[in-house]
Amino acid sequence: MNDETFLNERVQVVASFGEGLNLCRPLAFKRPSGREVTVSELGLRHPANKGVRTVHIFDVTDGGTDYRLEFDTERLTWHLTMEADHYE
Amino acid sequence: MNNGSYNMGRPMIMHIDLNSCFATVEQQARPMLRGRPVAIANRRTEHTSIVTASYEAKALGISLGMKVREAKRLAPELVVLESDPPKYRYVYHKLMDIMKRYSAHITMKSIDEGVIDFYQTTGEIQERDLVEVGYEIKDSLYREVGKVMNCNVGIGPNRFLAKTAAGLHKPNGLDVIDHTNLRQTLGTLKLRDLTGIASHNEARLNKVGIYTPLQFLDADATTLQKIVFKSIVGQQWHRRLRGWEVDDTSHDVKTVGRQYVLETRGMPRAQILQRLHNLCESVGHRMRSQGKAARGVFVYAKSPTSGYWHRRHMAPLPFYSNQAIYAQAALLFVEAPEDIKEIGVSCYQLEDDTDKQLSLFGDELARVQRVTAAIDAINQRFGDGTLHSADTLGTERHVKQKIPFGSTRYL
Repeated sequence: MNDETFLNERVQVVASFGEGLNLCRPLAFKRPSGREVTVSELGLRHPANKGVRTVHIFDVTDGGTDYRLEFDTERLTWHLTMEADHYE
Repeated sequence: MNNGSYNMGRPMIMHIDLNSCFATVEQQARPMLRGRPVAIANRRTEHTSIVTASYEAKALGISLGMKVREAKRLAPELVVLESDPPKYRYVYHKLMDIMKRYSAHITMKSIDEGVIDFYQTTGEIQERDLVEVGYEIKDSLYREVGKVMNCNVGIGPNRFLAKTAAGLHKPNGLDVIDHTNLRQTLGTLKLRDLTGIASHNEARLNKVGIYTPLQFLDADATTLQKIVFKSIVGQQWHRRLRGWEVDDTSHDVKTVGRQYVLETRGMPRAQILQRLHNLCESVGHRMRSQGKAARGVFVYAKSPTSGYWHRRHMAPLPFYSNQAIYAQAALLFVEAPEDIKEIGVSCYQLEDDTDKQLSLFGDELARVQRVTAAIDAINQRFGDGTLHSADTLGTERHVKQKIPFGSTRYL
């Protein structure tokens, strides 16, 4: 029943900062293994508070797997915290 | 106010209900889940109940309250996810923002539904066609949250009929009930389709020969008040069904509580008490966030062999610290049965936490007050659970914060 893998990988992210409802949009990210993932759709972006610190959570997909990226607004870091493949 | 006839006024109450809210939000967030049967449970164990199912899952026979194990047996392809409160809270706030564009008088009834009162808004908005406004709200949700999001909209002359209208065509419906189609609409429903009529009230109505909503509508106020409900509730139903407002009320917080289904059966008592302690910390935090102190503590336990067990204790003075709540709960729990599967704790007889009363009782209470305030401030700064009792260390992995159904106080 559990096809999610929870992670805490520091990742490098290419993101666009622009206009519209999603001011920040991750476009691609590179995992510590060197694997690069191109984001095909941003499903939802929502903020979450860790105390007074805000992280923005981006649920994205590359068309085959769903990923969760977290952007820490205080530390300016990105982490990959979950991947899920529902085709298993 | 007219108790006998239908409300002939223009319907100006709008009820908005997000469809299969948590499952839909997950399908919005995670595109690979779209079109698949998805269920949300509060914990990733087979004994947990499903709190929301996607429409694809409902089509396979999955229903709310069903145990995950049973659901997986019915639909092996079902994707079960653990609930993700911050995500749902975000969508709740987005919905609330959209609703506030139309009236300052909105009421969020729960995390996935709200009411807009157009009787109390600007003339400019009142002049608009509310059906058009309903479609505009659906469109805003689609554009501002995501393309999977949809909602049911119901418009009626009072909250009850607006909610009833919102339930007529799921998912993504928009319906209006007013005096012109009231009888026709109620004629298509069963008693249990009416909000507020569950098995107990249905049995009461059946006793006097009322088996359908239309018969309920045609019943006179005296019968409903004196024979069926034996209270003012009967009079209220008589008015409610006719489109007169009786539900525009707010309730003060009366209890604060939490419950937890133990992750394993046969858990040692010491571990159960640790989880109870964790619940007490959570209850204390919630209670203080509302500026309340309590006079009473209530605990319960459910056991497959002994059934439902509960105890309560009323203290002579108000209390609000986590330690005070747990000390009383643990004492009550001494008498709890063996073989427990679920525990719960509530604080009741809440009163405003005005320092005046406490300061009468000297330094010790003042010290507790300062320590509690310091703990709350640290947890607020660094996140819930940063500072807690050593006894509850490790329990946060199991006893997580969950979505409070039916209350929007903590969202």
